[in-house]
Amino acid sequence: MKPKSDLPQGTLDLLILKVVALGPIHGYAVAQRLEQVSRGVVQVPQGSLYPALHRLENRGLLAADWKFTETGREAKFYRVTRKGQTQLETEAASWQRLTQAVSLILKMSEGGAG
Amino acid sequence: MSWWHRLFHRTQYEEQLEKELRHHLDLHTSELSAQGYSPEEARRQAHLALGGPEQVKEMCREARGTRWLEELLQDLRIGVRTLRKNPGFTLVVAVTLALGIGANTAIFGLVNTLLLRPLPVVKAPSELVLLVRGDGQGPTLSYPDFKVLRERNEVLTDLALYTQAPISFGNRVRSEVVLGAMVSGNYFDVLGINPSLGRAFLPEEDRTPGTHAVVVLSNSFWQTRFNSDRTLVGRTIVLNSQQFTVVGIAPAGFDGETPPMKVSLWIPVMMTATMRWEPGATRHDPLSNRQDENFGAIGRLKQGVSITHAQAALETINRQIEQSNPLPPEQVSNPNNDRSLRLLSPRGIMIGPIMEMAVTSSRLAWATVLTVLLIACANVANLLMARAATRRKEVAVRLALGATRGRLIRQLLTESVLLALVGATAGLFLAYWINQLLMAFKPPFPPPFTFTLDLSFDIRTFAFTLLLAISTGVIFGLVPALQASKPDVVPALKDESNAEGARLRWLNWRNALVITQVALSLALLISTGLFLRTLRYAQRVDLGFKPDHVLSASFNLRLQHYNETQGREFYQQMVERLERTPGVQTASVTNLLPLGFIWLTTPVAPEDREVPPNERVFAGSVSAGSQYFETIGTPLLRGRDFNAQDTIKSPNVAIVSEKLARRLWPEIKDAGEALSKRLRVGRGDATSCEVIGVAKDSRNNIFNRLDREPEPTIYRPFAQNYSALASVIVRTDGDPRGLTSAVRREVAALDENLPPQNLQPLSETVSLASWSARTGATVLGVFGLLGLVLAAIGIYGVMSYSVSRRTREIGLRMALGAETRDVIKLIVKHGMGLTLIGAVIGLMLAVALTRLLTSLLYGVTATDPATFAGVVLFVIVVAVLACYLPARRATKVDPMRALRCE
Repeated sequence: MKPKSDLPQGTLDLLILKVVALGPIHGYAVAQRLEQVSRGVVQVPQGSLYPALHRLENRGLLAADWKFTETGREAKFYRVTRKGQTQLETEAASWQRLTQAVSLILKMSEGGAG
Repeated sequence: MSWWHRLFHRTQYEEQLEKELRHHLDLHTSELSAQGYSPEEARRQAHLALGGPEQVKEMCREARGTRWLEELLQDLRIGVRTLRKNPGFTLVVAVTLALGIGANTAIFGLVNTLLLRPLPVVKAPSELVLLVRGDGQGPTLSYPDFKVLRERNEVLTDLALYTQAPISFGNRVRSEVVLGAMVSGNYFDVLGINPSLGRAFLPEEDRTPGTHAVVVLSNSFWQTRFNSDRTLVGRTIVLNSQQFTVVGIAPAGFDGETPPMKVSLWIPVMMTATMRWEPGATRHDPLSNRQDENFGAIGRLKQGVSITHAQAALETINRQIEQSNPLPPEQVSNPNNDRSLRLLSPRGIMIGPIMEMAVTSSRLAWATVLTVLLIACANVANLLMARAATRRKEVAVRLALGATRGRLIRQLLTESVLLALVGATAGLFLAYWINQLLMAFKPPFPPPFTFTLDLSFDIRTFAFTLLLAISTGVIFGLVPALQASKPDVVPALKDESNAEGARLRWLNWRNALVITQVALSLALLISTGLFLRTLRYAQRVDLGFKPDHVLSASFNLRLQHYNETQGREFYQQMVERLERTPGVQTASVTNLLPLGFIWLTTPVAPEDREVPPNERVFAGSVSAGSQYFETIGTPLLRGRDFNAQDTIKSPNVAIVSEKLARRLWPEIKDAGEALSKRLRVGRGDATSCEVIGVAKDSRNNIFNRLDREPEPTIYRPFAQNYSALASVIVRTDGDPRGLTSAVRREVAALDENLPPQNLQPLSETVSLASWSARTGATVLGVFGLLGLVLAAIGIYGVMSYSVSRRTREIGLRMALGAETRDVIKLIVKHGMGLTLIGAVIGLMLAVALTRLLTSLLYGVTATDPATFAGVVLFVIVVAVLACYLPARRATKVDPMRALRCE
């Protein structure tokens, strides 16, 4: 098994918002999608996925409907609310800024070492 | 979704959560199966990946934010179950708390009504302000000042004027005096009141003096006197012998702007002259005279204007008025000459002197009931701690199973708050009953000043009770909860419940609580004792007159438009007719009833020497008819009583009280030396009189001043000092009430439209004087005894508990030869130690507390040694009794069983 990275604090909510923003999706699919997209680098502990979903729903960033899947089973589908969309955009932007800043600093220290 | 909504859809939420997680597991399992795992292995792996379903669920619930509520519900369920399992305990605690909380709710109801409740019925009562001058004791504006204030100010949307006056109302069957108000035309508009029938006053009714005789009636007056007759509007009624057209009926519940005085009708202020003064007396036109400061004003603040800002703005105008047109100093009615304007928010009751009394007594009552509640809390805390000892095992099990201490304390507190709520519910009923009792103690003001206190509960009362219950629950529950949740799991589980019993720490929580209880109830009882002494003093004090066997009836002949000649004639005939009535010993007339509502003073100066104006003696000014002194029962030390020879034409004479004689002529040794001396009485062109008698000092001044020394008083013949407002007094040998109908008959024979007021024994008028002492003694007495009973139960409880804890020790002592006497001594000594410490603290507390009472006590100092000693003795006796019962039980211990039981 290749080594998996732990998620930095608070980024799980951002990732979930992003995944759900692509279209209504149920909990298991969120977990799968996260793993696929990150090519297995990011593994969300399934145990903390559901509390996160419920927390986001509670804060009004996600909404949920009970719908039938392709296999004909009833499942809880999450979608992003308008408030969630705004939140996603601001969070994503600030994440971008942060990572750029961090990588800049890292490059600089590489240069300093060399 | 609100948390409320989520809470009540908990079952639905749980189902959905379950379904969601199952869906996840199923999908994961089938995927793993597809990868080649056996079905069992696939399912196991899926479960492993997700984590324990219960833990995940718990985390989801937590994420939902309703966990604290769910825990609360759980705590409540446990609480209810525990309480139902111990009905005896629950009952004792609930009753104790009901007493404590009920007393507080009742007093809060009183405070709410007296001090807090906004004016009923009016629109936006918080915007209303009352304008008062100086200390705010009564109305203090003149009509001209009102007009200037109304026109010049920019802080009020409008300002209305009012003045109250007794008005006689005749309806052919029987005439009576009611309280009426003369108001400016905008009065109802300012208050935002629409008459429920008819209309309010029109602008033209507020313009010309004496032209529009219209009246708006209060709903209750309309109901009781006219049987809610809807056709009354437009018809006329007779007020002060004058026809008035009824134009409207005020909405129910509105009885004027100064509760608790009930105003029965409103008349335009333009009618004031005809209502209050004899016709033709234009010199006293109240609408143009700045010196007639008999009006009050009520205004409505403009949006966004604060009361302080408005006060500053109005005070500026007020100062301009004062500077441009100052009043002559002796005409300034306010004695301390404070002419500044103040704004008050109309809340509770709005009458200066009564309010002062109300504030003092409700503060006192509140201190009392809070003390009772503290005693009750101490009791309950004690019970809870005793029970905590038996619950140690339960607590230990919970702690061992992983409950946190905080969670456990929360659960125990929930239980005690629940207990407090049960107590509070019962307390509400008790409070209702106490309030009924309190109503019996309302001050006995004579009609027409009908005094009604609406003590019914409102939302404020319920909110207060709820808040009190919750805080009470926390107060009495906290210490036991902290103690009970101490994590000493191992000995508790091993059932070593008596392990610490052998070494009872002396200064523990339980003992501290008993000490507190004793101290608090002692302080209460000392206050009670002081009031009882005051009451006894009030009953025994030498009033200087004899109120028993005297009946009085007051008349206001102005209301019936009698002129002076007619008035003199009426009073003279009235006295003559009464003197002929069987059962009457003597009859007379006077302008002032002793210890009544009104008191007049006048400057008096000796004629034989110059007295600087600032050293003039101000004496009570009594007009008295023939045989006044014999009728009222004030002894004459020297000289003679007034008689029929003292007429308007005979030389002016006066009788002085001994005190006045000594103030006027300090050099005299015997009061008799004052006889035949001359004095000048009155302001301006004073009257010169010869002293014909010296009377014993009499405590005849105003009603709430029984404690003051008798004031110097000058008596002048009624014939030489006529007053339209006067009282006829009759002395009989039997019950004065027996003469009531005879007096009514004689009045009706002279004038069937003239209502006698205050037709009651003089002793009742006087009883107003001892009202505060009587009320204080009763209320404090009841609560003080209640406190003592609770404290006695507390002592009993603690002693019983300690006896049960010391069974083994006692058994051992008896096995070693201790006698019954020794055992009793052992227990009682413990109890007495606590009681004595409590008593010492209580005494110190009482010294501090009784300082509050000083203004309500008389004839006794606030640190009366006899009261203090008596109460301490009483408390000790009660404490000994409370210790004795458990001690007796201790002696019944069988040494063999006591030793074997462990």
